Amino acid sequence: MFIPGIFVTSMTMPGMLLALELSSKHDEDLARRLQRRDSIAMAEIYDRFGRLAYSVILSIVRDGAVAEDLVQETFLRVWNRIHAFEPARGALGPWLLAIARNRAIDHLRSLSAGMDRNAYELDLREHPSLFVDMERDVLNIDHARVIRQAIAKLSANQQKVIELAYYEGLSQTEMAERMGEPPGTVKTWVRTALKHLREELGQAVEA
Amino acid sequence: MTCEELRQDYTSYALGIAVEPERSEIAAHLSRECPNCVPGVASAMATVTAISGAVEIKQPPRHLRRRVLAAIEPAPKRWSFGVVLPWIITAAMSLALVTIGISGRRQGGDSARLEQALSILNDPATRDVAFGETEKPSKGRIFVSAGKGVVFIGASLPRIDRGKTFELWVIPAKGNPVPAGLFQSQPDATAVFVRPGPVDNAAAISVTVEPEGGSAQPTTTPFIVTRL
Repeated sequence: MFIPGIFVTSMTMPGMLLALELSSKHDEDLARRLQRRDSIAMAEIYDRFGRLAYSVILSIVRDGAVAEDLVQETFLRVWNRIHAFEPARGALGPWLLAIARNRAIDHLRSLSAGMDRNAYELDLREHPSLFVDMERDVLNIDHARVIRQAIAKLSANQQKVIELAYYEGLSQTEMAERMGEPPGTVKTWVRTALKHLREELGQAVEA
Repeated sequence: MTCEELRQDYTSYALGIAVEPERSEIAAHLSRECPNCVPGVASAMATVTAISGAVEIKQPPRHLRRRVLAAIEPAPKRWSFGVVLPWIITAAMSLALVTIGISGRRQGGDSARLEQALSILNDPATRDVAFGETEKPSKGRIFVSAGKGVVFIGASLPRIDRGKTFELWVIPAKGNPVPAGLFQSQPDATAVFVRPGPVDNAAAISVTVEPEGGSAQPTTTPFIVTRL
């Protein structure tokens, strides 16, 4: 079972192309050139990650015009904050995608007066220090396949909480309200789902 | 809380769904560059990144690349820093006031808007016009970059009824006004509004009061009209 309409369930041509474009061999060079304000490097980073950033954002906001705005914000933020990034040790793609997802979640939360919105925490979660020494191939096609298979193994409720967390940015309290379940039950589903995902990814993601 | 107690919540935190008190505790540990929690959350970030890598790939529109690159064009040659700086400060202070004025809930969005505003202000091709002579008591300044967007900074704006909103319009040399976004003023009657994105053939900018949700075309007489 998988989350309907969200994750692709099998290897697709876009996925194969994705694997090609996410080759990480130039990341360090790209980051150094961005730090030197090389706008051609910006074009290259867009060509490498623009499609994935757009896909991540669109999957969350479900609005093409908004997604375009947020992609622009994402790359602008990378451009403005690249000096805090360590080219030799940082993982450029994962950092950029974290910024992309945060922009999308922040947008969703800005639309809902009842949702908690903590910009300081978003900044903490996309600080370049959290992307130091991360395996740069975390975005390659093998990992994508592993995560899809891992999600497919989760129970329906576990898949639901991952969907609500990743795509809607709901807190566990908000998930409990949405699902009509006790917060403790939701917390258990979240913890077990994430534990399963980490275990499945254990050899692939964590050194 | 100790790092050991927080370990099982690293991934929830990385995903943005950790609950209190763990959420604040992990944030505090990260803020002080905790040698255990920073690598722990970093490892958890790999899981979140892997989920991002599994989304269904969609093709972005072709013009988006041009738009992204336009946003980071080199710093201005034509404008001196001394000329631009006061308005950067003004924009930054105004945005900060906006942020404070709404209890910190919109800080992330306003931070992004500040970056967009600075990008527009830094565009060498940006045109700026002041208003206030014929719009008294309202006064302010509007910056328009054809490639990057519009920054509107206003003060002494009229009070509007609940259920109403200000709407910015881009008026082309020929044709009807084009809606360019909705905004509200702060309690002190000031407003900073950033509308990112290309602005085609703008001959003037105007602001009207419209029903909440905005209008496709102006339904009231503009109280601000500035020719570019």
